[in-house]
Amino acid sequence: MHPFTPLLTTFLPVLYALSVAGYVRIYVAEPGTSEGSTSQRWGPMLLRAAVVVHILYLTTRGFTEGHLPLASVYDFLSATGLALAAAYLYVETRGGIRTTGVFVLPFVFFLQVVSSAYGQGAGILKPRIQPIWFELHTLTAVLGYGAFTVSAIYGILFLLLYHDIKANRLSFFYRRMPPLETLGRMNVSAASAGLALLGLAICMGVGWARLAGVHLLADPKTWLTIAAWMVLAFSVLAYHRLGWRGPLAVYALLAGFSTLILSRFAVDLFFHSFHTFR
Amino acid sequence: MIAVIPNADALDLFCVGLNHETSPLEVRDALVLNDEEVALAIRALRERGGASEAMVISTCNRTEVYARGATVENPHAFVAEILREIKGTDLTGRDARFLYTYREPDSVRHLFRVACGLDSQVLGEPQITGQVKDALSLAGRLGGSGPVIERLLDAALRASKRARTETGIGRGPISSAYAGVSLASKVLGGLADKRVLVIGAGEMAGLAARHFVDAGVTRFMVANRSRERGEAFGATISARVVSLEALPVVLPGADIVVAATSAPDCVVTDATVRNAMKIRKNRPLLFLDLAVPRDVDPLVARLPNVFLHDLDALGVLVAQSLAQRRAEIPKVEAIIEVEVSRFLRWHRSLAVKPTVTAFRGHFERIAREEMARHKGRFREQDQAALEALVHGIVQKLLHHPTTRLTRADQDGRDGIARIDAVRDLFGIDPEEEDPNANR
Repeated sequence: MHPFTPLLTTFLPVLYALSVAGYVRIYVAEPGTSEGSTSQRWGPMLLRAAVVVHILYLTTRGFTEGHLPLASVYDFLSATGLALAAAYLYVETRGGIRTTGVFVLPFVFFLQVVSSAYGQGAGILKPRIQPIWFELHTLTAVLGYGAFTVSAIYGILFLLLYHDIKANRLSFFYRRMPPLETLGRMNVSAASAGLALLGLAICMGVGWARLAGVHLLADPKTWLTIAAWMVLAFSVLAYHRLGWRGPLAVYALLAGFSTLILSRFAVDLFFHSFHTFR
Repeated sequence: MIAVIPNADALDLFCVGLNHETSPLEVRDALVLNDEEVALAIRALRERGGASEAMVISTCNRTEVYARGATVENPHAFVAEILREIKGTDLTGRDARFLYTYREPDSVRHLFRVACGLDSQVLGEPQITGQVKDALSLAGRLGGSGPVIERLLDAALRASKRARTETGIGRGPISSAYAGVSLASKVLGGLADKRVLVIGAGEMAGLAARHFVDAGVTRFMVANRSRERGEAFGATISARVVSLEALPVVLPGADIVVAATSAPDCVVTDATVRNAMKIRKNRPLLFLDLAVPRDVDPLVARLPNVFLHDLDALGVLVAQSLAQRRAEIPKVEAIIEVEVSRFLRWHRSLAVKPTVTAFRGHFERIAREEMARHKGRFREQDQAALEALVHGIVQKLLHHPTTRLTRADQDGRDGIARIDAVRDLFGIDPEEEDPNANR
């Protein structure tokens, strides 16, 4: 283990916690006023610093261990957190919307806390996994999970704002949210990106299994993931082709995301699968 | 007859006026001055009141006269007399209470409050900034403004700009029509590519349409019972005009519907909207029902992706904005105090005596510093001769400018401009002056 690794492992959750506090400050400040205008900068700055440190942390571990640090469920959580933070930063930079950070970043913080607290020394590969396939397959899967999580968070925010506007509850939450159309677009765009990434991960997984002679149909994780991917693909298709708009489209995507989460964590708990991490 | 005091403080700036808080609408209406009447007022202030600079702000909610250097003993009575002559409205006796009078520094502070929208009927409304600019421009054309009023207006507009960018005094909708635009942006995002259907051609419809034009909307349709009136209204916003019977046909193509007719029954029915939503594949549709009684069947609010908001709902947004603006007043007041202090420092620096003292002191200090720097290059016995030489050169150089500066207060606007130019050219900072110097 690199001597910096324990330090970064502790430092990362602290940085994410501070960024969450910064984004809470942004959310609480009355929009369109000078309230907290100077202090509103440190949340985004800390988040950027946290993402840089996170990349540094994973890179250090990658060099030390000789492969991408994605070998345990805790590594997976940490990398998903990074993907989520990076996806959020992309959204914030493109749309200039900072008030949604408070809904995304606590997940990043939580994922990193769990990973830092329980993930020490859990990064040993199983002998049968081929590193290059494993790394590409897992990397695209992690990015896909990050994109779907962003999609789900924006989907939930869409539903909350949608019902507030319909019911004329035009108060605290209403004033802080970006336009409904933006939330809806983020929901579908992030899901589309997730669909492509997870599709790639599935294809690489299938390719590797055929080469390795593994029977995929026997693995509950595989068919649950494919089922979730199909639900999500249908939802995105329905949005574009069948005019599924508003809550209907969001509920469909959330159903797909729930299946995906089920496939990720329930399998570890209830089934035996070659996808099960140590 | 108004008394004139020959030794009045030439730098004093007064404001006499009335606004929505001090006077009823009929009085304000009667005292709105057009350009010709403003010219008469400025001429009277300059020729009879001895003002070196003057300006008039006249809007539907206020008429205010600003004058600098006037030699009248009672500005309140003098301005009332001018207004009586020009408009025939007598503001003496009991009606004198409609007029307020501010002397410097309160007059300066009042103008800054006006420019920032703190003194407006609708708190923080932005039109007043343009009206203040127009007043300055008119005063300039009429020969009323000079260096002090121009600087004053610059400072007031800077305070206004700061207030609007650094605080929320101008944020949020303050009318139902504008609240509708704000809501549309919240539901649909950017409005530039959206199509607005306006049902009705009355005042409210026109107001809402103008707000949508300001928000960047270019595609309008107008549906109206009277074709002629609809055409006339449609021409103002380059809209396609249809009859009310064509609503089921045009509704699917609209993203926002502004309904503002005086029809006694619903103009837009639930069935029409259901059909429209099928055709538009459930893309969101926003109804802004600005009519009383309502034009849109309330049942449409139950349809997915259909948003219906009437005057009550929009009123909630307006009330929130106003509360938010009121909370920003202390921050705007703080900005005003900073800008007022800055202006007053500059204004007081225009007094002749401290300027002459500072001007001469500036050169004498340079002479002393240079002599000290080169002292070692001259023999001890030459020092006295050197000092006398340098002192003599400085005195000769300063003689004519000092004489001209000393006469500046007799030369009106030219004198002020001269003092300002000297301060600017030689970098004389008001902060460094002797605070006890007489004005």
